[in-house]
Amino acid sequence: MTGTVAAPQAISVTYRVILRQLVTTGRVVGLGLIGVAVAVVGWAVGQSIESSASVRLENAVGVISLVAFTIVVPVVSLVFAAASLGDTREDGTLVYLWLRPMRRWTVVVGAWLAAVTVSLPLTVIPTVLTAMLLDVGSDLIVATIIASALGVLAYSALFVLLGLLVKNAIVWGLGYVIIWEGVVAAFGSSAAKVAIRGYTSSILTARTGVQLELGDLSQTVGIVVPALIAVGALVLAAVRLDRLEVA
Amino acid sequence: MVSVTNVTKAFGDVVAVSDVSFTVGPGITALLGPNGAGKSTLFRMLCGLASPTRGTVRVLGRDARTDTDVRGMIGLAPQQDALFDRLDARQFVEIAATTHGVPDPSAAAARVLDIVELDPTDPKSVGAYSKGMRQRVKLAAALVNDPTVLILDEPLTGLDPVQRRRMIELFNRLGDGGKCVLVSSHVLDEVARLGSRVLVIAQGRLAAAGDYHALRDQMDDRPHRIRVVTDEPRRLAAALLQREVIDGVHVADGTVELNTSDVDGFGRQIAPVARELGVRLRGVRPIDDDLESVFRYLVERR
Repeated sequence: MTGTVAAPQAISVTYRVILRQLVTTGRVVGLGLIGVAVAVVGWAVGQSIESSASVRLENAVGVISLVAFTIVVPVVSLVFAAASLGDTREDGTLVYLWLRPMRRWTVVVGAWLAAVTVSLPLTVIPTVLTAMLLDVGSDLIVATIIASALGVLAYSALFVLLGLLVKNAIVWGLGYVIIWEGVVAAFGSSAAKVAIRGYTSSILTARTGVQLELGDLSQTVGIVVPALIAVGALVLAAVRLDRLEVA
Repeated sequence: MVSVTNVTKAFGDVVAVSDVSFTVGPGITALLGPNGAGKSTLFRMLCGLASPTRGTVRVLGRDARTDTDVRGMIGLAPQQDALFDRLDARQFVEIAATTHGVPDPSAAAARVLDIVELDPTDPKSVGAYSKGMRQRVKLAAALVNDPTVLILDEPLTGLDPVQRRRMIELFNRLGDGGKCVLVSSHVLDEVARLGSRVLVIAQGRLAAAGDYHALRDQMDDRPHRIRVVTDEPRRLAAALLQREVIDGVHVADGTVELNTSDVDGFGRQIAPVARELGVRLRGVRPIDDDLESVFRYLVERR
């Protein structure tokens, strides 16, 4: 008899296992190429802008908002976070984490940390590189770092939960990113409040002064709410994991 | 150690397990049943992986679905062939040890891999292992926490005869050592070698429970259906009915299909009767000797 495993040990072992399963050459190369493409777009746009400083900044923030926060951050987070526990559930290996004397929340947190560990470099590096290549000053770079990191934390938690809720979480997640965050949220401020992109856009707006669609919240709200979304999603994921019928 | 009380599990309209009750103590117990009988569902409920629709399941007096600690006293080798394929065997079992809070997981992993006759220093990932080797990795992971209750779902599938014999010896040693070892199988011969206590499950219901040899006798005593191919079916059928070694008969086109509840008596009489009548026997073969038929019989007679 061994008793319940201590939380740090449970988180650590889950983190190591999931990280090992998540990092495949195909995923890293594929999503790395998206990052490279984004950086190339940034470089091309940066080269072509020949207007005044304010117009250049406005265009640059628009580019970052579009490529980083509607494509790179949500999609990369989706691929890794949905797979973190979702894949183990579908391939039958979840039993090796579920039937253990470990608290459910420790498994969820370990999986989320693993997803964040892979997603952060694959999102922050290309988006920050893009911001640098756009060459409009440090405000955009700092805003991009903060918003990318917070976006990854929030999206990853949300998509860990999604992976436990539905099969084919990637399809559902893409539907959420494209249809809800991309289209529905653009039509109203109420819908924008339940879209993570509303908060990342607000950080960009607050730090650069460039007014973005959905970016009408304060920087504090833009930082605090994604953190709360992450915590809430992780709590729900732990509850879901506890109630799950494991194959 | 394990108690199952009036347990039913339904998936929508499909009832996978129906009103099953039994208790299991220390030693080895075989859960025997055809594929799809509900064995794995029952095991999943024992481990807390699924909750019963009705009834209660207790392992060491506790519910593994809600009690975190009791999960550390269970070892499960699941039926599905799923492993963390990018890890080698030692890493896989070491993770099982760590997730159970076993002190010195590396040494524990090496010890159990040795027990299941796998090389702890093999650098190959388990994804490259054969079916038999993967089965043994699962067994090692199930054993690494020295569980009080060991649940092994079809653990002998994919093993060669030598490995199978050694694993059966291992299960018996564990059972003799006071552990509660539950092993499922759909192969009667395997169960014969596993040990004395058997639970037979068929169509989601507990069809029989008890000593293997007593059960085997019940199975042999059931009515048998036999097909006899001969050149004079009617004469042969009449003679067998007259000698009361068969209960019923259907004759068609050179074939006699008969029922007998005295299969040994029938076996002794068929050749002398044919010789006496001067009829030629072209074939005698049971038509319901498969395991499914045996299980169906056991279910229907309850």
